[in-house]
Amino acid sequence: MAANATTNPSQLLPLELVDKCIGSRIHIVMKSDKEIVGTLLGFDDFVNMVLEDVTEFEITPEGRRITKLDQILLNGNNITMKRCLLLTGS
Amino acid sequence: MTSLLAAANEMASGGGGGGSKMADKEKKKKESILDLSKYIDKTIRVKFQGGREASGVLKGFDPLLNLVLDGTIEYMRDPDDQYKLTEDTRQLGLVVCRGTSVVLICPQDGMEAIPNPFIQQQDG
Repeated sequence: MAANATTNPSQLLPLELVDKCIGSRIHIVMKSDKEIVGTLLGFDDFVNMVLEDVTEFEITPEGRRITKLDQILLNGNNITMKRCLLLTGS
Repeated sequence: MTSLLAAANEMASGGGGGGSKMADKEKKKKESILDLSKYIDKTIRVKFQGGREASGVLKGFDPLLNLVLDGTIEYMRDPDDQYKLTEDTRQLGLVVCRGTSVVLICPQDGMEAIPNPFIQQQDG
């Protein structure tokens, strides 16, 4: 039988969109009030992400945290949303 | 028919593995209980673990419930906010929502506020 997950091939797959963002700045929103902005170097099946030149933001106290460089591995467990910053237009 | 039964018995007593059975009950299929293709290009509201809410046009999804939303508006809940929308909304544009933190998906028009049906809780 055909797989039940036959999605329309003309639609956009989420992981494809993440793949397109590799090499660009990406903005990640966590489940808590924390956000991470950095350059996406890569990700895996569990959507753990490797980022570079990272800035960490706390939304509630409205302060910018440490600016970390030298590549971080972000655990995919707490990621809620991801934005590709290159697509923000107008 | 009798020969089939006999063969099946043989296989069962053989202690075995993997005879091809007709009823494939043990085969786990990754079936989605919600068909999201009917929501494509429609505005949906999504709620996340941690209290965040967002709404946007559904552009894509996968079986793990990762979503692609366009024109996303995010609503944040504050302690003194208590589910008052319009405060603290952000325009996020094109986002990917992680399926592991999605708790609710519904059409944007599919919800309305009703008066509290649980006013009297004086059941003994």
